[in-house]
Amino acid sequence: MRPNDLKKELGITPQAIHRHLRSMVAASEIEVIGRGPKTLYYIAGNPRLDKVLNWSASNDRPAGDPGESNCETRDVFTARLSHLSSLTKTGLKEEDLSLVISVAGEIGNNCFDHNLGNWRDVPGCWFEFQVTAGRLWICIADRGQGVFRSLRRVDPSIPDDQSALITAFEKTLSGRAPENRGNGLKFVRNIIVVGEKRGVACRSGAGIVDYGSLGQECRSVLAVHPHPPIGTVTLILWSMI
Amino acid sequence: MRIALKSYGTILTSRPAGREAALSMKAHIHPVPGEMIELDFDGVLSVGPSWLDEVLSSLRGDYGRERVICLPTKNFSVIESLRVIDA
Repeated sequence: MRPNDLKKELGITPQAIHRHLRSMVAASEIEVIGRGPKTLYYIAGNPRLDKVLNWSASNDRPAGDPGESNCETRDVFTARLSHLSSLTKTGLKEEDLSLVISVAGEIGNNCFDHNLGNWRDVPGCWFEFQVTAGRLWICIADRGQGVFRSLRRVDPSIPDDQSALITAFEKTLSGRAPENRGNGLKFVRNIIVVGEKRGVACRSGAGIVDYGSLGQECRSVLAVHPHPPIGTVTLILWSMI
Repeated sequence: MRIALKSYGTILTSRPAGREAALSMKAHIHPVPGEMIELDFDGVLSVGPSWLDEVLSSLRGDYGRERVICLPTKNFSVIESLRVIDA
């Protein structure tokens, strides 16, 4: 919402609006993005994920340039994973950095492990992270076949999207059987659950799961989009305070 | 024989990268019979269980489980990865 929108909505002067906005920014209640007439204000602590969620849920091939968030190949994803190292400058503890990178790495690499040659339309994954009010949000999405289609090939008894997601996060089974693998998401769940202020939610088709003390918050953000993802979308929340 | 894993990067993630690293290790190390192979994580920023599983499986397959060891480290990603792999 822009100041002009507020002026119309609240019926107070632009000067009063700017005074209120400045005091809310000073109190870390809202955050400012952009400058000049394109200045936008957001509620502090909440992620801005409209772009990735629309990209993920679009029935047709998403239009437009996805920009730097899209990692078309695993190499690009791995290179951008290293950008997480900068988070220690914004408050992430050194001892948490190795875990954040490995958790994001497992989820992002899953996009390639399970969808190579089977993308719906756009190859690769969307990878972005945001820090707001001492909270790190990491979102990774792909337009692949989804967890259910991947696991159903190796275990036809899995009935639906929801069961497939629970299996993926809680049992050692991989869509890449007979290769001996399937530990990645268990690792992610362990790391999230063991920490006090961490959460993860994953939505794939009609299924959605969450883990960790902040998992419900991640679930709420993903579930707010009316359309399920074409592939899989995962949201991680890691408190740095 | 000690292998400095930082030679393979500071962020060690993905199975393909782990497989490639294991092949490279086996091409370059020539342990004498009975010699221990020690994986040294000093200087590594982060390790994923997928990468480490590929390396350990490959080395243990060739040299035996008891001869391949991970040196102690305070890196949590290594500790947690090993917890999942060896569960």
